[in-house]
Amino acid sequence: MKVIVADDSRVMRQIVIRTLRQAGYDWWDIEEAEHGADALERVRATRPDFVLSDWNMPEMTGIELLRTMRAEGDETPFAFVTSEGSPQMREQAAAAGALFLIAKPFTADTFRETIDPFIA
Amino acid sequence: MSAVAGSLPTVDGEAIEAIAQDFFATMVDGEHGVLVPGYGEMAPLVDARFTWVDVHGETVTRVLVAVGRSTGDMLTRALLALPDDAPIGDADFADAAGEVVNVIGGNIKSLVHGGGALSLPQVADAAPDCGGAPLISETWFTWRGAPLTLTLWNLPEHAGSAGRP
Repeated sequence: MKVIVADDSRVMRQIVIRTLRQAGYDWWDIEEAEHGADALERVRATRPDFVLSDWNMPEMTGIELLRTMRAEGDETPFAFVTSEGSPQMREQAAAAGALFLIAKPFTADTFRETIDPFIA
Repeated sequence: MSAVAGSLPTVDGEAIEAIAQDFFATMVDGEHGVLVPGYGEMAPLVDARFTWVDVHGETVTRVLVAVGRSTGDMLTRALLALPDDAPIGDADFADAAGEVVNVIGGNIKSLVHGGGALSLPQVADAAPDCGGAPLISETWFTWRGAPLTLTLWNLPEHAGSAGRP
């Protein structure tokens, strides 16, 4: 399964990927994107199975990335891992078509419990 | 130790402590009790570095973390799961420090009345100019024996770094 992890922080991308491995998703083929615009290029080029994105990024935010993908007819499953998890942001994410939003800080258990129902 | 001013926008000092401790327990140390609130006189920060985000709401709340560079290097190694003697470059330090305040600030946003967009994190080797803005919360901790401060400042509306929608 090809997955794109988008976050403008290399440190946070490493933490997200390490936590995904700890959660049991060590079979995922993960590609990193440095911001939303970078992720969009990679989505267009490689057609991933899943996108896991930060929200607050330079160049293009995560919600702008999701809305652009959907506007282009791209229905790739998409979810957020972000430092903010307010009800308003969760509503925005769901309305734009995100599967879920994981708020930082997170654990491997958080990832497993949240992701497993969607990635059977 | 935490102090909250009374005549300014109020925030829950204990909740702020809990947010910082939860972040460190979950993503840095893997256990609670390593980042602990400090009491009494704080040891001075050595070769201090500053990192902050601005929460835009009815006013702008600046969330500012200050730490000594060597402590910040330890923090970077912990976040990247690097050995204790791994050299840390400025870029990795800035990235790690920025993420610390980004996550803490993102969670503090829920405590700030009218909390809206969050700015991208900034990192500097000098304290940012808060334009004489009042301090609304001050907390200091020790982490692995070294001091770390977490302060909130009430900036005027339209001040601070731009938030993202």
